[in-house]
Amino acid sequence: MIKQLLEALDRRVGFEQAQAHCDIPCGIYDPSTAQIAALTVVRMMDLMAALESGEQKSTGEFHNSMERYVTVKEEHAEKAKHEIRIIWGDYFKKDKHPNVDDLVYRIMQLGSKCRQTASREAGLELVAAINEFAAIFWETKGVKTKKANAPYAPSLEMVYPDL
Amino acid sequence: MLRILKITGQSMLPEYQDGDFVVIAAAPVFLRRLKAGDVVVFGHESYGTLIKKIERVAEDGNLIVSGTRADSLDSRRLGPIALDKVRGKVIWHIR
Repeated sequence: MIKQLLEALDRRVGFEQAQAHCDIPCGIYDPSTAQIAALTVVRMMDLMAALESGEQKSTGEFHNSMERYVTVKEEHAEKAKHEIRIIWGDYFKKDKHPNVDDLVYRIMQLGSKCRQTASREAGLELVAAINEFAAIFWETKGVKTKKANAPYAPSLEMVYPDL
Repeated sequence: MLRILKITGQSMLPEYQDGDFVVIAAAPVFLRRLKAGDVVVFGHESYGTLIKKIERVAEDGNLIVSGTRADSLDSRRLGPIALDKVRGKVIWHIR
């Protein structure tokens, strides 16, 4: 009753508005970019290992390919870290998701290790940690998740929103 | 002094919905006693007039604010809110 009265009054005089803003500019967060970046890291490690096990190691082709794989591995490890930092810093709230801090710290460490080394084990741990982060993220959105192998190499098990 | 304001946006869901009205009080007796959990309306130089919940009152008296949703704009982006920016405390929520 009172609200209807105020709505009618608002149409005539227009009350001042108080904005209950969500995040700006877009509020669009999605961990899939970080997940794909982590997968790319492992893929590059696999390509590096395959190249290393080949016979032609002193050719220009070898060095060219190895250089490219290492560069892409570097870029995507950093990209994964960046994307996680954005979601962690802009989306999660410390008091509501206290366990995320430790997980994000672990992801940062693993991302750095993937840049510093060619350890596939570190790459797999990075993928797993970011999957864990994705599961928590989708849970906060009330979206169920499912696990499935990525439909491309390396076909690791990933967490996907079950939309 | 009392004012009526209309809420726009989603950051205070589910308690405060887009289109609800609030009555705010700006009398010093209300603003001196602000505490965590109170809902306030304040002016922000970048975002205009905002309504948010007080997370806590900092030691220097500034307010750390947030919405009630995980993706709400809050003091991490807005910064601490100085008391002189507070337009009033919500004393009546009309939904």
